[in-house]
Amino acid sequence: MTTSTVDSPARRSSRGGRVLRYVLLVVVACVVLGPIYWLVTSALKPTADIYTYPPTWIPNPLHLRWSNFADAWHAAPFGRFFLNSLIVTAIGTVGEMLCATLCAYAFAFLRFPFKKVLFGVLLGAMMVPGHVTLLPNYLTISDLGWINTYQGLIFPGLGSVFATFLLRQHMMTLPGEVLDAAKVDGAGHLRTMFRVVLPLSRPMLITAGVITLVAKWNDFIWPLIVTNSTNMRTVPIGLLFLKTQEGYNNWGAIMAATVLVIVPVLVVFFFAQRQIVAGLTQGATKG
Amino acid sequence: MVAPARLSRRSLLAASGGAALALTAAGCGGGSGGGNGFAQASGDKVPDKYAKRTRVVVWHAYSGNPGTAITELAKRFNESQSDVYVEAQFQGTYDETAQKVTAAVQAKKIPDLVTFSEVNWHNFYLNDLLEPLDGYFGSGLKRSAYNQKLLSEGVLKDKLWWLPLARSTPIFYYNKTLFHKAGLPDRGPATWDEWRDWSKQIKGLKVKGKQVKMEAYQKVDGDWQFQGSVWQWGGAYSNGLNVAIDQDPAVAAGEWQRELIFKDKMAYMADSPSVDFQNQLIATLVTSTGGLQGMTEAAEKGKWEVGTAFVPKKEQQVVPTGGGGFGMLAYSPKDRKQAAWKFIEFCGKAENSAYWTLTTGYLPVIDAAVDEPDLKKRLADDPNFSTAVKQLDIVRKEDEVRLMVPNANILIYTGLQKIWANNTPAKQVFTDVAGQLKKATDKVRKNIEKHI
Repeated sequence: MTTSTVDSPARRSSRGGRVLRYVLLVVVACVVLGPIYWLVTSALKPTADIYTYPPTWIPNPLHLRWSNFADAWHAAPFGRFFLNSLIVTAIGTVGEMLCATLCAYAFAFLRFPFKKVLFGVLLGAMMVPGHVTLLPNYLTISDLGWINTYQGLIFPGLGSVFATFLLRQHMMTLPGEVLDAAKVDGAGHLRTMFRVVLPLSRPMLITAGVITLVAKWNDFIWPLIVTNSTNMRTVPIGLLFLKTQEGYNNWGAIMAATVLVIVPVLVVFFFAQRQIVAGLTQGATKG
Repeated sequence: MVAPARLSRRSLLAASGGAALALTAAGCGGGSGGGNGFAQASGDKVPDKYAKRTRVVVWHAYSGNPGTAITELAKRFNESQSDVYVEAQFQGTYDETAQKVTAAVQAKKIPDLVTFSEVNWHNFYLNDLLEPLDGYFGSGLKRSAYNQKLLSEGVLKDKLWWLPLARSTPIFYYNKTLFHKAGLPDRGPATWDEWRDWSKQIKGLKVKGKQVKMEAYQKVDGDWQFQGSVWQWGGAYSNGLNVAIDQDPAVAAGEWQRELIFKDKMAYMADSPSVDFQNQLIATLVTSTGGLQGMTEAAEKGKWEVGTAFVPKKEQQVVPTGGGGFGMLAYSPKDRKQAAWKFIEFCGKAENSAYWTLTTGYLPVIDAAVDEPDLKKRLADDPNFSTAVKQLDIVRKEDEVRLMVPNANILIYTGLQKIWANNTPAKQVFTDVAGQLKKATDKVRKNIEKHI
């Protein structure tokens, strides 16, 4: 509890460093939040206020245009789009995580011939851009008669190299003693996986799960290609229904619909965030 | 100790394998082939009351107001007769729709009618995927009912492949209020030279502290408006398949714009010139008729008035057209083609064409539509709306290279960007672009020549 009038040089520089750090943090926060702020406020403005110069940064609180949301909701069957997105994202994420976990476990702990080669092939698949597989996938799904169905939307996305890779790398870091102990106690592979490996991998599972979920929720090209009718569309394509190619766009409604689309993802992220952060710090202290 | 694990792994594999097989079998049962191996694109379950009708699938590229309009037309059509059920399916932009049709043809599950853009339909025509439509005209819909200029754009080798639907042309927009402030007359300029004189009077005007410029050039897809400029200067992108963009008139048109930007400092390249016009950053603009509603609304909000006129002339007075129309897929079976034509007939009725034009702002493609009471009233009440219709007399079909050579439009507008942004001389840019266009044309020349 000293009240020294003169700070030591070291102390001053650290305070200066802290100020600089905070300034940088504020700048980064603005860069990240700026577009989101613009999106949310635009969703509450009348169209003419969205495209004005100089820009209206703060919408008039007395004239917030909440009807943008109603306009968007009624312009296309968004209820149906949300239902479809929910089904596809939920089943798709669970399925993909299941496949990825099983696959990662196999590559991490099982011994089988050509393991390294196969893993190399798997990694190689990560380098193939999605567009290359688009047409073959489409033809396969079409031959199965799955165009415009939930199976068609979900199945091709179930195999995920990225989540597999992420989980496998994490599983490799798990201490071998724990696994040996499980083995001594008579646990088979499935029991070891569900009782030992997965609980230890929880933060990584959640991280991979959130990444997968966001990717599925936002996916645009595949749902556009594989569904035909309005009733089978997902929300990102729903946004397309609001925008015309030439002529007049009701930007207020488009912004409002976009807000509706990103809210579920934000909510999920909000809840998962603590887990992700916990996972990261856990790893940090261990290291 | 190891045995149970292996067992469980094996049983798991067996179980999943079995499941996959079962799904495959179910999938095979679902697909059914047509006579020529082409099945119809799938969609929603047909409502019970329409179950016995011939089902026609229309893939369209219309969202927003046009989307509402085409859905409404399909609904009215289904209620108006008892033989055909039309299912209109929105497939994204024209380009996305075209890509989807390509994939659908490969998968042999195709729609019957598709709305193609003025560029896209050529690709499908060149690959022999379109049905000639001449034989379908009859008492239900006469060929003469269509605007003949627009109709003729879908003709190649004396046959009709593409029917006009959502067509537009560039028109000249001007800010009446700014014109008044600058002491200019309340009309569009007759020639580009007059327009340039007027730009000197606009110079110095300020709105909200910002210097007003005369016009802006659209960064992406600006080659559509420039197609008009090249013609107005007496040139062409190409004559037939002979590239002409490096010849004097086109170069002069490019130089004119370069001077306006870098010497007069009265123009610039913009991402969205329409938005700049709406915010009074520019006093005039040449852009699609489709933008009228947005301009009018912005003008009301900003308390100024918008005027429209014919695009000014230089050597010639002529504008291109753009937009979409119906094409029928040749692999669709005969009964579905005839059913699909019933829907085209329905859209071709004067009252339906008028409804389409009123809802979307596109040009009336059926001549008699302008005599329908609602449209007639609108044309009389809103002179801006009628400018586009009157300008139909001076439209021309775009040059072949832009329409038929893949990515020609991208090569041209990337070149234009160099003129507008880097101050590169037009001669240099267009010589370069012409070289690339010639190369791209030679790749497809044989196929195109076989087809025209």
